[in-house]
Amino acid sequence: MTETPNYDGKFDAIVVGAGLAGSAAALSMAKRGLSPLVIERGTSPGTKNVFGGVLYTPTIRELVDLDDAPLERYVAEKRFSMLSEADETALSLRPGEWHDEPHNDSFTVLRGEFDEWFAERAVDAGATLLTETTVTGLLRENGRIVGVGTDRPDGRIRAPYVVLAEGGNSLVTERADLKERESRDHVAVAVKEVLEFPAREGVIEDRFRLTDDAGAAYNYFGEGAVGEAFGGGFLYTNDDTVSVGVAYRLSDAAASGQRPEETLNRFKSHPAVAPLVRDARTVEYSAKTIPEGGIESVPDLVHDGAVLVGDTAGLVLNNGVHLEGTNMAVESGVHAGAAIATAARQGRTDAAALSGYPSALSRSFVVENLERYAWLQEAAVADRELLFAELPRAVADAGAEYFRMDRDSKERHADRARERLLDAVGGYTGAAKLAARYRKVIA
Amino acid sequence: MSVSPRVPTVENDSIEDRLYTVKYDDPGDSHLDVKVPGFCAERCESYDCVSVCPADVWRAEDGGVPTIAYENCLECGSCRFACPYNNVSWEYPETGSGVSFSHG
Repeated sequence: MTETPNYDGKFDAIVVGAGLAGSAAALSMAKRGLSPLVIERGTSPGTKNVFGGVLYTPTIRELVDLDDAPLERYVAEKRFSMLSEADETALSLRPGEWHDEPHNDSFTVLRGEFDEWFAERAVDAGATLLTETTVTGLLRENGRIVGVGTDRPDGRIRAPYVVLAEGGNSLVTERADLKERESRDHVAVAVKEVLEFPAREGVIEDRFRLTDDAGAAYNYFGEGAVGEAFGGGFLYTNDDTVSVGVAYRLSDAAASGQRPEETLNRFKSHPAVAPLVRDARTVEYSAKTIPEGGIESVPDLVHDGAVLVGDTAGLVLNNGVHLEGTNMAVESGVHAGAAIATAARQGRTDAAALSGYPSALSRSFVVENLERYAWLQEAAVADRELLFAELPRAVADAGAEYFRMDRDSKERHADRARERLLDAVGGYTGAAKLAARYRKVIA
Repeated sequence: MSVSPRVPTVENDSIEDRLYTVKYDDPGDSHLDVKVPGFCAERCESYDCVSVCPADVWRAEDGGVPTIAYENCLECGSCRFACPYNNVSWEYPETGSGVSFSHG
């Protein structure tokens, strides 16, 4: 090993993890004149990081010049699809304005490239990046967190503030009793493949109806996507690859006994999905856990000398229509960095001095959205059979009845379609209750 | 005309071939372990670690304590959350070792 400089006591703050939350926190602090050290366990930022594939960029845009960013495609189409075993019913949105800058701030991204680029922007702003270094624990003095232990020869690195941005599998944070291990009811397992299509040029553009840098984000739910589980599948187009994957509750994965890679295989073989992913070569297979406990699972965000951001803080939104996490990670990093800068000016490290972070986050879209959908997961899990199994079948059947070509009248077709739908949801009363329960998803 | 269209066959790689797509640097020692082997051998019947693992790390062919093919690990953490006995010992592989995703 080359001689390592001594980092102990040389920095204003230590950031554990150079993912999007960590680099955003580092950028936020560096822009405010602090000197943060970012410690990353991978060989370079991004090598340990996985997500589905769409990055929402309103906050990142405020921090860096996105013109140079390694973005894959802008999202020109959002498509929501219900799958039963044999049927698909889908809603596709292609608003014209998404083709125009700034493309609704929605881009497909591959984390290997993007996280490395974003961490470099933090370094440009004045942060120091230390890779291939694993934080093994937090250092405490009189209850205050004063630094981290690492696997480097000289081990301990002290600094006034520690930003915990280690991701959802939060070993350091849990070990320091700043967070409890999340229940498996509130964690999803996700598996993903990046596919390329070697047969000929233009396969992605042709299959997904794309030109130039336009891209597609397809989300799937229902039994045809992930079997008897709470979760869904996705397809996102990158520049010259496609990301395909499934994500569903760990407790369902455990109960079903069906392994994640088999669930992915079944999703890829669905009659509505197979034509989109056939004749591909797997470039990379990856997996991740997603904290989906919502606002109830968000731990205390500030401690004496430490703050929690991103997945470590459980900041992920999944309401079936909106799947967000990386944008919330960046937002949390920005506010945490700002609060640390404020506390540093006062020469304080205590939780009260850092309270600007949780209060700013509470005023932001992050907590507002999490609170808005706090009820949803519980309701959707309780209604899983109806929403994920019966409804996809009933909607497909009703569509088939409505458009049936025989010599009956349209009125009789419509009647049969209506009956099929009402039968699935428990009549007009059931339909009204269902509509009332879920109206807040979109309204 | 056929009644239902032919669904194109999607060739899926085996788990071995899938794992072969991922860069891996062997730390030499396993970063995974069970905390109390007796829990697996005597109490556990469901082997949820085996069911949830996307990388065929955990194996319990004939009951007892699962064997751990740690070099397959994609570092997702599923086993740690899934174990009903909180019996999975999980450390980050050190000094840059373990899995390295190029795309992620």
